[in-house]
Amino acid sequence: MNMLEHVLLPVAHEEDALKTARELEPYDPERVTALHVVEKGGGVPDKTPVEQSEELAQESYAAVRTVFPDADDHTAYGRDVAGKIFEAADEVGASAIAYRSRGGNRLMQFLSGDISLKLVTQAKHPVIALPRVDGEE
Amino acid sequence: MSDDELAKDLGLLSALTIGVGTMIGAGIFVLPGQAAAAAGPAVAISFVIGGVISLFTALSASELGTAMPKAGGSYYYVNHALGPLFGSIAGWGNWMGLAFASAFYTLGFGEYLATFLPLPALVIGPLELSAFQIGALLAGLAFIAVNYVGAKETGGVQVVIVTLLVGILTTFSVLGFLQADLTTLRPFFPSEVGGATAILPATGLIFVSFLGFAKITTVAEELKNPGRNLPLAVVGSVVIVTVMYAIIMVVLMGVINWRQLGPEFTTTPVLDVAEVAFGSVGLAAAGVGLLTFAGLLATASSANASILASSRINFAMGRDKLISAKLNAIHPNFATPYRSIAVTGGLILLFILVGDVKTLAKAGSVLHLIVYGLLNVALIVMREADVAEYQPEFEVPMYPVVPILGALTSFGLIAFMNPIEIGLSLVFVGGGIIWYFAYAREQTDKEGILSEYILDRQETMPDPVVSAAAGVHPDGGTFRVMVPLASPEHERELITLASALAKQRGGTVDAVHIVTVPDQTSLEYAAEHPEEVEEGYHTILDAAKRDAETFGVDVETHTILSHRSFEEVFDAARTHEADLVVMGWGDNSHGSPGRVESAIDDLVTDLACDFLVLKDRGFDPDHILVPTAGGPDSDLSAEVATLLREEYGSRITLLHVSDDREAGETFLDEWATSHDLGDAEQHVETGDVESVIAQAAEDATLVIAGASERGLFTRLVNGSPIVDLVDDIDCSILLAERAHERGVLDRLLGR
Repeated sequence: MNMLEHVLLPVAHEEDALKTARELEPYDPERVTALHVVEKGGGVPDKTPVEQSEELAQESYAAVRTVFPDADDHTAYGRDVAGKIFEAADEVGASAIAYRSRGGNRLMQFLSGDISLKLVTQAKHPVIALPRVDGEE
Repeated sequence: MSDDELAKDLGLLSALTIGVGTMIGAGIFVLPGQAAAAAGPAVAISFVIGGVISLFTALSASELGTAMPKAGGSYYYVNHALGPLFGSIAGWGNWMGLAFASAFYTLGFGEYLATFLPLPALVIGPLELSAFQIGALLAGLAFIAVNYVGAKETGGVQVVIVTLLVGILTTFSVLGFLQADLTTLRPFFPSEVGGATAILPATGLIFVSFLGFAKITTVAEELKNPGRNLPLAVVGSVVIVTVMYAIIMVVLMGVINWRQLGPEFTTTPVLDVAEVAFGSVGLAAAGVGLLTFAGLLATASSANASILASSRINFAMGRDKLISAKLNAIHPNFATPYRSIAVTGGLILLFILVGDVKTLAKAGSVLHLIVYGLLNVALIVMREADVAEYQPEFEVPMYPVVPILGALTSFGLIAFMNPIEIGLSLVFVGGGIIWYFAYAREQTDKEGILSEYILDRQETMPDPVVSAAAGVHPDGGTFRVMVPLASPEHERELITLASALAKQRGGTVDAVHIVTVPDQTSLEYAAEHPEEVEEGYHTILDAAKRDAETFGVDVETHTILSHRSFEEVFDAARTHEADLVVMGWGDNSHGSPGRVESAIDDLVTDLACDFLVLKDRGFDPDHILVPTAGGPDSDLSAEVATLLREEYGSRITLLHVSDDREAGETFLDEWATSHDLGDAEQHVETGDVESVIAQAAEDATLVIAGASERGLFTRLVNGSPIVDLVDDIDCSILLAERAHERGVLDRLLGR
């Protein structure tokens, strides 16, 4: 099975989406589904209004489509971002998950809820870590 | 499950705990001393009156919340119903009211912190900081930081906190009640505070204890089954806290005489009473510890909820363009509206520095009361204007009695405040009005239901009402059509198109000649010697001016010297505040954009205004073909087509390509009607999109195509399908791309 048959591309925001898509572009995946996970409080008011998160999702999908015009999109809602990524991968039948670490030092990763670790340790799908070009951000 | 349902994860219990958790901090833990000093034992009645006033508004807020489950809550309803002038007042009032209230809660937190933590008092220059102010500042910083990084508190924690609070307070009440001596409560209306007349001013003081029920409506969109849960949660939380407040007040003053609870004796009367109450079972220290813990928890959860709610209001105001959308930018790593939180946080720290508990509480209350009053008026307007979209799942009982009483009691209670607090609040109301006329009126184009209602009935409404409504009507600024011109080649066609559109919209044309200066030449040099860079550089603008003036539209001309011609178009659109850019595209239009490919993506991911790109093969609007698949960009093509039809009496043909002819016809018919094109010819075809369009274009003189997805410019550069289409067609083609700074919702609604 070709790992790039159907790539699930989790993206956080417009800029992240554009960079992630560009990193993936050279590998020429057959099909791409962009995924945005709207972080939910699960019983408390969310830190960001849902409507604003959904705008962010739409902007991110549009940014992915500037690179992959035929990309599908998928929006998931939940507290556990990594968990929702795996669920989405099952749902859309992805062959692999490609992501780009948002970087930052240990503290930043901890504060923003490091999903890289969970992605690589808990995944049931192949996970592709896209290279981060030096000097970004 | 649809996405919509997935976004809803708050049940009734969660919603109740948001309301109770936000409210319960203040009245019981921070204010009882001040309240006791204000009215004596009768202050229990003040709490009941406060509860009743809140109940009216709570019912109104529930109706509005189920009809419009929008982030922003009260502000949104007022802005939507009464228009952006009152929206500005409500938005600023609500925002500042929350900042005052947060500062008040945080000071309360500081008071409890100072009871066990040895905090120093500081004197910095003219500023004297007491120990509890230091504590409050530290706590304030912590609350802001938590919201800034968006640390995740689970729903479970919130429920546990509130359950714990209610449990501790119930135990406290029971033990206290056993120790209470009802004679201590006499006289119930002590004459030294003015007897029963002190009740209403005391209500004004303690009203801050009820701020919070409306916060449930700010998360209405996240509620499951809002039609049932929202009113239950809002009304339920008001009833719960009112009962608790009244009982606890009676217990407090039954255990210790109210005169000994006042601020000159103690800052934390609850702890004194706890010592007696728990002392009876030999647990005095444990009781004080428990209540201190509860006090910290309650004030922290109130402060936290208020900071969160204020960022919601900022978001909603930004969406309506009453404040800059920049304030609501989302942090790339934390995914929080960090700027909004930082600004509100700064204000809270400032208020902690300069304010005292009582003034902060009352200023916060006055601002909220103004918002609550307006909210009730908003409900009446929504009902009376009979708007079709207004379909509340929950309706207030006994309309119009409840909202009228809600408005009267909310505004009325303000009269019992002190001049200083009213004055402070009026500063923000006045600020909101000035803000609207100085800034927001130009920006926003959202009109309130009220002014639509009045302006639609000019004939039957009294003149002063109509002119007042017209006078504050948002103008959104003058409609400006910018035309970047690079070569004389297509000048006439572009200016003709732009002028026709500007004329129909009553706007102006801004002809901009972008002169590309070689990188080696400095811009200063070029500005002094324009003829060297481009011979006859002014002829193109002179021609543009003549052409535009034949339409009788106002025209401005500008020359821009730049090293980067293609990018400059986007910069100029922004700095010239254009609403629409009409530009040419072709070999000689704006250089060869291919070389700036990487830069373009960054520019066009945030298109500041609507763009029309004309591939010019002679401008002839006689027969316009509009292919559509729906979406915001084809809304723009429809608008342009109708404007041209009005100017030239053009014949319009709509084309929709669909595999399912019947569904396609239904879609196109609906689309045409909703875009004011019901009388245009409609064609639904099957097959390959490109060739169908190319074929249909054979009869047309002009094709107006929506870019359909964002990234028109990227695709122009990369040579994607739509660009090939342009080559397959013989007539002129106009590509329309809608501005996409405004957010998806705005674009969907065509605002």
